[in-house]
Amino acid sequence: MTKPGHSLTDEGQPSPATAGALAPQGSQRAAAEADTIVRIKDINVRYGRYHAVKDACLDIRRGEVVAIVGPSGAGKSTLLRAINMLEQPSSGTLQVGDFTFSVDHRLTAQDLLKLRRSTGMVFQSFNLFPHMTVERNISLPQMRVLGRSRKDADARTAQLLERVHLADKAQSYPARLSGGQQQRIAIARALALDPKVMLFDEPTSALDPELGLEVLAVMRELAEDGMTMIIVTHEIAFAADVADRVIVMADGAIIEEGTPEAVIRNPSSPRTQRFFRAVVDRR
Amino acid sequence: MIELGLSLLRGVPATLIVTGGAFLLGALAGVPLVLMRRSHLRLLQYPARFYIAVVRGIPPIVWLFVIFFGLGSGILVLTSLQAAVIAMGLVSAAYLAEIYRGGFLALPGGQGEAAKALGMSRLDSLRYILAPQVLRVSVPAMATFLVSLLKDTTVASTIGVRDVMMYASQKAQSGGGSFTPFILAALLYILLTIPVAVLSRRMDERLRTRSQA
Ligand SMILES: Nc1ncnc2c1ncn2[C@@H]1O[C@H](COP(=O)(O)OP(=O)(O)OP(=O)(O)O)[C@@H](O)[C@H]1O
Ligand SMILES: [Mg+2]
Repeated sequence: MTKPGHSLTDEGQPSPATAGALAPQGSQRAAAEADTIVRIKDINVRYGRYHAVKDACLDIRRGEVVAIVGPSGAGKSTLLRAINMLEQPSSGTLQVGDFTFSVDHRLTAQDLLKLRRSTGMVFQSFNLFPHMTVERNISLPQMRVLGRSRKDADARTAQLLERVHLADKAQSYPARLSGGQQQRIAIARALALDPKVMLFDEPTSALDPELGLEVLAVMRELAEDGMTMIIVTHEIAFAADVADRVIVMADGAIIEEGTPEAVIRNPSSPRTQRFFRAVVDRR
Repeated sequence: MIELGLSLLRGVPATLIVTGGAFLLGALAGVPLVLMRRSHLRLLQYPARFYIAVVRGIPPIVWLFVIFFGLGSGILVLTSLQAAVIAMGLVSAAYLAEIYRGGFLALPGGQGEAAKALGMSRLDSLRYILAPQVLRVSVPAMATFLVSLLKDTTVASTIGVRDVMMYASQKAQSGGGSFTPFILAALLYILLTIPVAVLSRRMDERLRTRSQA
């Protein structure tokens, strides 16, 4: 479907929707909302009795950068992980790219793989594969998931390594790299599958501030290239600068959203005001 | 003395066949066993738990007799060598499955999740991401197990496998109860374990230098 040599944020042609739980959207609706690439509707996630995400609704446009902020335990990670079903929501509907899922009934393994192929995820702890070189970390998923030849995969890998400024590390093992370098490799690995949306879960919290900066720089470039991104972060300054929209979560619910200007400088709810005051006090 | 040593050496092939064959069988059968053991489906998990518990709770010699006299007499005709490989292999499977399970638990967190998030199938995740790492951390424990298996195969002589132990007891009897044959046998078993120890250290070092440091 996609050949190496495409731009970083290439989204390819919409793939045909498949049968089963994946239903194509009504064509008129799709045309009217062609710009919505992720749609989260009334999503609930429960851990046993604990209600971690409550009726979350969120529409994200193609190319939009959305930052999710909020206190610890607010359900930010859980919501992000529900988008690629690493966490199984108990109810709601989810649309990613051309696929709409009603999460009420169980998805087949095939549907799950399709969903995950259209999202790229970057974890706080990098999670590179320690027994593989950097090149293989990035090429192997392309070969196994997209069926690219080794030659095509390696070419795309080289291009992405260039992009995250680590072209000289192709043959290194992850343990030899700094945390910041590992995280940039993890970003390249996710990008290599040409996802429609990139999900970041506190990508810099495990890093020294300095190393965090090089990761944020790569993310900023990605945003400038038009990649759709959802970023859970505690880096409020970065969110204010790069995000088109800031979402505030507390106690499992989205309590406020708007432009960084509106949400961060002039938060309307007392809960949000308290949260940002705490963040500012910390610095 | 030299003649005695040479006659014990005639038992080495059988000892190596039983040890190697049982280890190979156990290493292969241990894979589905550990996957069942780790499954969330009770239908798979419980039989695996049962098998592992029962096998480990009963002395190998009992399994040897069960396979050789029980299975061997009625259903299949097995030579004593075949019976020994199968019995020790089935026992090894349980121990190796537990070693693999320890390896899974030792995996750095998030590996399976990263593979999942990339859209890799469960089989691919197992084959390319989890299994190689599990195998790597399991090497030292597998080597230790191999050494103890080598010693445990001496029970095969009780069903007539002509291994080192068999020749040693024959010589001891014909030599009027001298225990020299047993001392020589002991030396021979120690010699046989040396290559295992060396090989495992080599493998361990090679795998380690690649990904650590
Ligand atoms: N696997 C789980 N089982 C049970 N409860 C969980 C699980 N994962 C998360 N939780 C709970 O759900 C709530 C939301 O967790 P979540 O990780 O989404 O918070 P968060 O907003 O990402 O917080 P942080 O900023 O600390 O990462 C927390 O109260 C947490 O304890
Ligand atoms: Mg979190």
